[in-house]
Amino acid sequence: MQNITRIYALSKRNVILRYKNSLVGFFWGFIKPAIYLLIFMVMFSQSFPSVTNYVLFASSGLILWFFFSNVTTQAVGSIVGSSGLIKAINIPAYFFPLSEVLSELFNLLLTIIVFLVMMYWFGIVYSAKLILIIPLVILFATFAYGLNLILCSINVFFRDIGIIWGTIQPALFYLSPIGYPETMIPDQYKLVIKANPIYYFIKVGRTVFYDNFPPSMHAWNVCIGISVITLGIGLFVYSRLKNQFISAI
Amino acid sequence: MSDIVIKVENVHVSFWQNNVGVYSVKDLITLGKSPFKSKTILNNISVEVKKGESLGILGRNGSGKSTLLRTIAGIIKPDQGKITVNGTFAPILAIGAGLEVELTGYENIALLLALYGTARKNTNAVENIKEFSELSDEVLRMPVKQYSSGMVARLAFSISLANESDILIIDEVLAVGDQGFQAKCLDKIYKIRDEGKTILFVSHFPDGVTQICNKAILLEHGEMIDSGDSIDVCNHYKKLF
Repeated sequence: MQNITRIYALSKRNVILRYKNSLVGFFWGFIKPAIYLLIFMVMFSQSFPSVTNYVLFASSGLILWFFFSNVTTQAVGSIVGSSGLIKAINIPAYFFPLSEVLSELFNLLLTIIVFLVMMYWFGIVYSAKLILIIPLVILFATFAYGLNLILCSINVFFRDIGIIWGTIQPALFYLSPIGYPETMIPDQYKLVIKANPIYYFIKVGRTVFYDNFPPSMHAWNVCIGISVITLGIGLFVYSRLKNQFISAI
Repeated sequence: MSDIVIKVENVHVSFWQNNVGVYSVKDLITLGKSPFKSKTILNNISVEVKKGESLGILGRNGSGKSTLLRTIAGIIKPDQGKITVNGTFAPILAIGAGLEVELTGYENIALLLALYGTARKNTNAVENIKEFSELSDEVLRMPVKQYSSGMVARLAFSISLANESDILIIDEVLAVGDQGFQAKCLDKIYKIRDEGKTILFVSHFPDGVTQICNKAILLEHGEMIDSGDSIDVCNHYKKLF
């Protein structure tokens, strides 16, 4: 019970800190994907006349991508950035990446609400199927949390991780079929796309919002598998390194 | 047995010493050499603190005083040895530790009280902190980054004292703050001691240690070289220099 209060307090701190001294505050949660959407529309929408409702198509991928991108970027330095607290209070270090995931989930919730309203004009079909976004977001957040544990634990000892992660993110972004349809990838490069774990979550998310059929059982199983394995690796890396955090922060 | 509050038995703590750099990457690849070395910070420390006693911890800079406090508080896990604690901890009072500089005073109070787990138990905590720190409403609405170091110390000390815990850990905190506040803190510390609570006090000022503590230990290079009555240990400490 006490731990829930603590995690809640940390998540609240993240939400406050994120947009402190910023003019439009949490609206950045919508503005960032919207700017990318505009760029995509200029660059891509003419190139893919086969994609109907391009705005809905691209933005359903974008909001999931930005959740992932924000949450990992914030969490990489979360343990290092909270050294004062970690040295002063007996508090498990995994609280910090976890609170980053939770505060970003709060932002995602707001974004999805606005998104669902806006997409009225861009051809979204309101149906019970949309509720499937909840299990998807939980799986995606589990995956992101596992990855966060790996990134922020290693970043304590090698600060290069934060820099490397910032550098490879654009590559991951363009390797995920967010602004373009998957069908345009030539067969010989399909493997590159499929090696990218984010692809599977984006695909299920797009099916929920955009397609007129529900995600297949196979697609769900892949997402569950990726989440559980990533979380497992994350917990393993974290538990191996946690006792030495204090010597390096 | 029940009157022993803290029991530290043969505790050994070591840290990884990081030699990260381009050369360590080369060594890692060509020789398979780990970029980390293990460095002993505390070696074979055994201390016992009974109920109502207060323990001073003396030693040169880098002798392992803060590490010992953190190990007792459970923040650092020892490699070997055993620590038994009967009671709850107030957080470690280092200057401004844990304060988030971008947040206001009030936001910091709310955050830290929640993290220490006092928010629910003590609804007057915020009022008590305000009163003890003597910081005005206006100041507490400002981000902590705009505080002077004395104001930060006042806030940090007041938040830590708001916790009704059995063991108070003080890590070199009285150095900042004006004379009035220092006197107030000392008064408060005496009061806590007289209530029968346990105090762990780290300081470079032996006079402060003899005033507050009846027992003391002296650390040198991670080893405990003296322990016993605080006046004797303080005299030993003065002879080191």
